[in-house]
Amino acid sequence: MIHAATALLRFQHVSVRYGPTLALEKVSFVQPPRSVVALLGPNGAGKSSLLKAAMGLVPTTNGSIQFAFRNITEEAPEARARQGIAYVPEGRRVFAGLTARENLEVAAFASRAERKRRFDRVLALFPQLEPHLARRAWQLSGGQQQMLAIGRALMAAPTLLLLDEPSLGLAPVLVEQLFARIASLALEGTGVLLAEQNAAAALAVAGRAIVLRAGHVVADDTAAAIRARPELAESVLGTA
Amino acid sequence: MNARSILAAAGPAPVWVLAAAAVAVYGTLAQSYGLKLLAIAGCYTLAVLGYQFVFGRIGALSLAQGAFFGLGAYTSALLALKLGWDFARTLPAAIALAVALAAIVGASVLRLGSHYFALATLAVAELLHILAVEWLRLTGGGNGLPGVPGFRLFDFTIPAGWPAALFVWIVVAMGALLAMNYAASLYGDGSRLLRAHPLAAASAGIGEPGRRMAAFLLSAAFGAAGGALYVHTLGVVSPEALQFDVMVLILCMTVIGGRNAVAGAALGALLLVHLPEWFRAFEQWALFAYGAGLLVCIIAAPEGIAGAVEALWRRMFGPPRVAVLAAPAPPSEMAAPPPAGDTIVLAAQALGIAFGGNRALTGATFHIRAGEIVGLIGPNGSGKTTLLNLLSGFYRPDLGRVLLGGHDVTALPAWRRARLGIARSFQHAALADDMTALDNVAVASAECGPARLANILRLPGRDRRRRQARARAFAALEAVGAAASAGKRGADLGTSERRLVELARALVAEPKVMLLDEPAAGLSEAEKHALQSLLRGLAARGIGIVIVDHGMPFLLPLADRVVCLDAGAILAAGTPQEVAADPAVRRAYLGGAAP
Amino acid sequence: MSWAQILVDGVALGAAYALVALGFVLVLNAAGAVNFAQGDLVMAGGFAAIVLASLVPLGGIAVPGLVLAPMVAVAGGLAGWLVAEIAYRPLRRRPPVAVFISTIAVGIMLQHGANGLFGASERRTPPMMAGEPFAFAGLTVSRQSLAIVATAAIVILLLHLLLERTQLGRRLRAAAEDPDMARAIGIPVRRLTALAFALGAALAALAGLLLANVYFVTPTAGLAFMLKAYIAVTIGGWGSLRGAVAGAFLVALFEVIAARLLNASLADALLYAALLAALLLRPQGLFGEAAGRRA
Repeated sequence: MIHAATALLRFQHVSVRYGPTLALEKVSFVQPPRSVVALLGPNGAGKSSLLKAAMGLVPTTNGSIQFAFRNITEEAPEARARQGIAYVPEGRRVFAGLTARENLEVAAFASRAERKRRFDRVLALFPQLEPHLARRAWQLSGGQQQMLAIGRALMAAPTLLLLDEPSLGLAPVLVEQLFARIASLALEGTGVLLAEQNAAAALAVAGRAIVLRAGHVVADDTAAAIRARPELAESVLGTA
Repeated sequence: MNARSILAAAGPAPVWVLAAAAVAVYGTLAQSYGLKLLAIAGCYTLAVLGYQFVFGRIGALSLAQGAFFGLGAYTSALLALKLGWDFARTLPAAIALAVALAAIVGASVLRLGSHYFALATLAVAELLHILAVEWLRLTGGGNGLPGVPGFRLFDFTIPAGWPAALFVWIVVAMGALLAMNYAASLYGDGSRLLRAHPLAAASAGIGEPGRRMAAFLLSAAFGAAGGALYVHTLGVVSPEALQFDVMVLILCMTVIGGRNAVAGAALGALLLVHLPEWFRAFEQWALFAYGAGLLVCIIAAPEGIAGAVEALWRRMFGPPRVAVLAAPAPPSEMAAPPPAGDTIVLAAQALGIAFGGNRALTGATFHIRAGEIVGLIGPNGSGKTTLLNLLSGFYRPDLGRVLLGGHDVTALPAWRRARLGIARSFQHAALADDMTALDNVAVASAECGPARLANILRLPGRDRRRRQARARAFAALEAVGAAASAGKRGADLGTSERRLVELARALVAEPKVMLLDEPAAGLSEAEKHALQSLLRGLAARGIGIVIVDHGMPFLLPLADRVVCLDAGAILAAGTPQEVAADPAVRRAYLGGAAP
Repeated sequence: MSWAQILVDGVALGAAYALVALGFVLVLNAAGAVNFAQGDLVMAGGFAAIVLASLVPLGGIAVPGLVLAPMVAVAGGLAGWLVAEIAYRPLRRRPPVAVFISTIAVGIMLQHGANGLFGASERRTPPMMAGEPFAFAGLTVSRQSLAIVATAAIVILLLHLLLERTQLGRRLRAAAEDPDMARAIGIPVRRLTALAFALGAALAALAGLLLANVYFVTPTAGLAFMLKAYIAVTIGGWGSLRGAVAGAFLVALFEVIAARLLNASLADALLYAALLAALLLRPQGLFGEAAGRRA
């Protein structure tokens, strides 16, 4: 049982509406610090909406969101970013016209020295980006853009990293490498909330997992426990 | 029918009638200066009515309306002064010249994006202005030409004062009638949907380039007519009539009066012509005030004063209920026998498309038969919506072909394919907010085409095609079980109602194939069951149906066949059971080794 | 009048137009909207210079434009910020044509406000620095022409450095590309958009100070500047900063050459006719429409 007092991120009865459609209904969960939590579920279950709500990109009609003991429910995305939440959306959304280097630099709100330190750390994590630093972001391949987008998020030295379907469009080998790095991030102190359709890859690196279905939480348990319940796999495929 | 519903149905028309009566009374009491102002307001009303066609109903920002006004003024004045023509000949000539210019300009620049169009019309307007100033011998240069005669019809001169003012407003009334016919016609409804939701309009078969050209030509005709009336009222023609200030004035009148209401044109014109007179002390700040008024209106009241009055009326008396509908649908089309069960209605051959280096779809080959329901599934980003867009014509493929009933339609745009029988629905049902559900559906009926523009010449209420289209629309709404929503405005419909109305719109055009994008999203369990039976019923009529949906419990019992996409290629195809059990499919969804 | 002289005059005019066009493109990229008031902001800059010149006490000596330049730029910046708050922010979720119209409205207010305050007569701003024109190799180069080119060159260089070498510039560009994603990284998009408007207006105001010494300024001068900027940006490639500068020089050279052969008014007519031809033949301009632009 996770004690709420040690939560990095806490959702309490959060609902998200798009017009008359309810994307999330009274969702509650807790993300412990320094952990990787996998967010699973079929399409349309509300995974993206949950991450967007955490970032403040969509309004919530109910409930409260707490980050490191602060109530951030009403705060704008810019403010949340400054407090240590970083977001990597579905489809990467790197700044196409900026170079890879500029994409990284633009996200760091720190002194020049600190910025250099973080830059070096990102390159250590993703050395494949090094030869492409001077190229415009739109010229990079899908996998490179994904690494760039995550690197960009890390330049803000966040305590919580929200990842929306990072494996989309990536070859399986790249997915393996990427997820290995995600695991190491948590060890270094950054919590990761990872929304994924590729449940197997996500469960391999996560400590806990939450399964969503049609806007509700249907399971919230350790990754091992979720893996051991085959009916949940059906739930992800939607055939349950 | 109580008083409230009668008032609701009448709309704010009583307000306008009262206002018109007030203006008429004022006209009988006014002196010559006041009557001249009234006449000038009428001239501008005509120009604004014209502008409403292109700016209000089609949504294209033309900056040439003032130029058409000035061109009409100069044409009529010069023909009267130099050739001695009477108004009965100079008016049509003025209109014809402006329309010809609009045709040339429109043919070149209407297809460009909106800001290019605005810039091009602005350039044309400035060119005309410079022409008027420089061509001294013809136009009298910067000083213009005095002595323009009043309204001469054949041998009879209409005396200045109230007869001239009345004449102007009679012409305005004729123009207003035309504009009201446009708005109240099936064609006008189509333009409304086009402005609000261009994609949905395309899927309803509306989007032919002639429509925007027609609106532009109408704007030129009305603008020139206004200018011609203006110059004979004023008695002098000068390059001031071609200055950008006139365009600004017309724009302000349109936005402040109300860009989509015929009454708004008169309102805006009367108001902005008279305001400087009422506030004499601030006369030179009048245009400054108009700028401020334009800013306030575009931010806070985009439909202008007329729109605000209409909204207030609706709030007080409720929305008008459309009388629905005793006239039976013409039987022949409704009872067409379904095509033979094995005919392939739609086929895709090796379709491929890439977006900037990202291969969204490769080698997609698939077909659908009459009366078949095919489910299209696949993880996020696998290319399902891309395939739907390629089939319906919203995307043009890099490789491959699309065949409708054996004919190659790959080169045809979406609106053309819609007319040939491909219907498409979208994830977010796109309906025009200010039209009733019935009209939203009627707009897609095969009656709505370019030749139907001629309908605006009929007397209001006599649009036979509109009644037929509405009857068919009602039948379609009945077929989907949404007949109760027919009279509601688009803005007032709930999610499932919107879904059903969109289905009815897809149905009313008698499609051969329907492409549905997540039709069950947001529906309750009961509504999903009802939708399943409905779709089975439609398939029984011989319509081929392709459904993209994520809900397996919804799709698997419904579909005859299922096709699974992954990373832009077809992964598996077969019966629902086969595909759901296919290990490759399970891997695509779950990733890694299946548990 | 030698061709070299025409070139000299054209370059000076082009430099001033480049400032106006750059300001236009900055806002276009940052807000995705056409700022139709840009031309009237040039006019307002000219009038602001005249007002400031009368306010600065120098004991009877004429105030050189050089002293006024920073003040005019700041005044322009404030005006641009105001335009962003009243004409852009309330409409940023609406289709771009709404901002087109709201900025037309602002332009109207600027024009008729100036008319009401100053009247319709022509005014002239003080030169950047007083003195006789330079003469060499048979050419007459007025100090003002030199000053225009020098000022424009410095300003453009500073702008380039700002956009390409500073964090602020990078953030401006990122916010222009994808405002929602920029917000999610912590970039204060609203403030930066207002900054873009302020910069654009400051550039326009400076151009007004410079140009109104060579050509007179009247309240109705704004529309012509707006059209020239619009044409420059269209020819150069919608959304491209480099294109804006190139287009501005092309427009200026065309104007100066045509004015030698015809009168000024017909030169304008020829320019608009050339624009129409360009729109028909190559609407995407010289440098092409930058990828993913709105409006």
